[in-house]
Amino acid sequence: MIALNINQKLYEVDLKGHETLLEVLRHYLGLTGTKTACEEAECGACAVIIDGKAVLSCIILASNCEGKKITTIEGLADGDELHPIQKSFLDAGAVQCGFCIPGMIMSSKALLDKNSEPSREEMEYALDGNICRCGGYLKIFEAVRQAGKVLKVQGRSSKHEDAR
Amino acid sequence: MLLKPFTFHAPKTLQSALELYAALRDVRLQAGGTFLLNSLKLLKKKAAKTPQNILSLEHIKELKGISVEQNTVTIRSMTTMDEMHGSSLLTDYLSILKVSVKNIATQPVRNMATIGGNLTCRYTWTEMPAVMIALGAKMHFRGTDGSKEGITAEEFFHKEAKTGGIFTHVTIPRDRDVCAAYFRAKKSPFVDIPLLSLCVTTRFQHNKFSGTIVVVNNAVTFARRDRVLEDFLNQKGASKEVIEEAVSHLDDPIYDTRSSDYKKHMFRVGIKHALYDLIKTQK
Repeated sequence: MIALNINQKLYEVDLKGHETLLEVLRHYLGLTGTKTACEEAECGACAVIIDGKAVLSCIILASNCEGKKITTIEGLADGDELHPIQKSFLDAGAVQCGFCIPGMIMSSKALLDKNSEPSREEMEYALDGNICRCGGYLKIFEAVRQAGKVLKVQGRSSKHEDAR
Repeated sequence: MLLKPFTFHAPKTLQSALELYAALRDVRLQAGGTFLLNSLKLLKKKAAKTPQNILSLEHIKELKGISVEQNTVTIRSMTTMDEMHGSSLLTDYLSILKVSVKNIATQPVRNMATIGGNLTCRYTWTEMPAVMIALGAKMHFRGTDGSKEGITAEEFFHKEAKTGGIFTHVTIPRDRDVCAAYFRAKKSPFVDIPLLSLCVTTRFQHNKFSGTIVVVNNAVTFARRDRVLEDFLNQKGASKEVIEEAVSHLDDPIYDTRSSDYKKHMFRVGIKHALYDLIKTQK
């Protein structure tokens, strides 16, 4: 039995030890916002944030995450109110088929928590592990830029999110 | 499940990791896990045998971080690529470590992958071996009997040295007179698979190359020193003419790859780039 801190909620899960975090999120806890795609660390669809950094849940053992703070896409909205990054993705029309978007948003959040005004180069670097097969990168970068502006005005940072 | 069942161990100290490593049979060490977990998935798909035990080094604090003491930089084995990229301690010519880790995989992978995993997986196309050899790095291992072993990165890769212990840290001599340059070519702007990389370090004395180390990685064999080129460069003046002439003094066999003519040309271009960069940073 291990305890996982996911979206500021403690889950006790009975694991054998060989389960990936992706499998535990989706199959054990029903947190299906984190997507399964390549399953070999190539596409970024399964990105989550652990201790402030975007990582790939398909290549992390859930057993290795005990004692760490895990944030998934389900942890961003405040009730019915979407997180500014989620809103910006909708407003900018950055969501096409939408399959890559949870991972894109988690990588964007990890970036914007540290730097709300990233340059294009910084955005490309931070999102280089997230592949959009619809090819919607321009709108995605625009959404990240817009979200950064909103977060800066709101003075929101990861610390504010922690306090919520 | 993506992986076949195994017993997972996550010791909190190096001592307990060594004890477990000695006691367990059929065990694999896990550093960042980015390489290991994908390998285990592949083995499962092939219905091949997988290890019964995985020993994670993730929770061992003494294997994390970068420090500088006098003339030595120590990078502990569980330091991630992203931590190396963001380190304020890797300055001056050691900043080529940052340049090289920036090229590794993608951001989420760099957040997880460690220097220990990168070096000990012994993959020929990884970025770091050429840089570590050129910087004169030494790799340190702790044996299950408590013994300490240190071997140069060159010995580890070129001579394929076998070690029975846990890789704990790498030390790099800090020499303010050294200049370093790094060059890398990848398959395409969108497919980030390295075709070749090379790293050159030297000390300019009276505008002449001195103590030069040239390490090339052709992505087919392990990174190797080009001693023919090193011998040509040493004691030669740092000039455009020397650089142009240098590319006709290569140890040809180490550039031999499956696409040799094209790749040899790329190497000549890369070597020129690196040598011109060195001259620009001359102290």
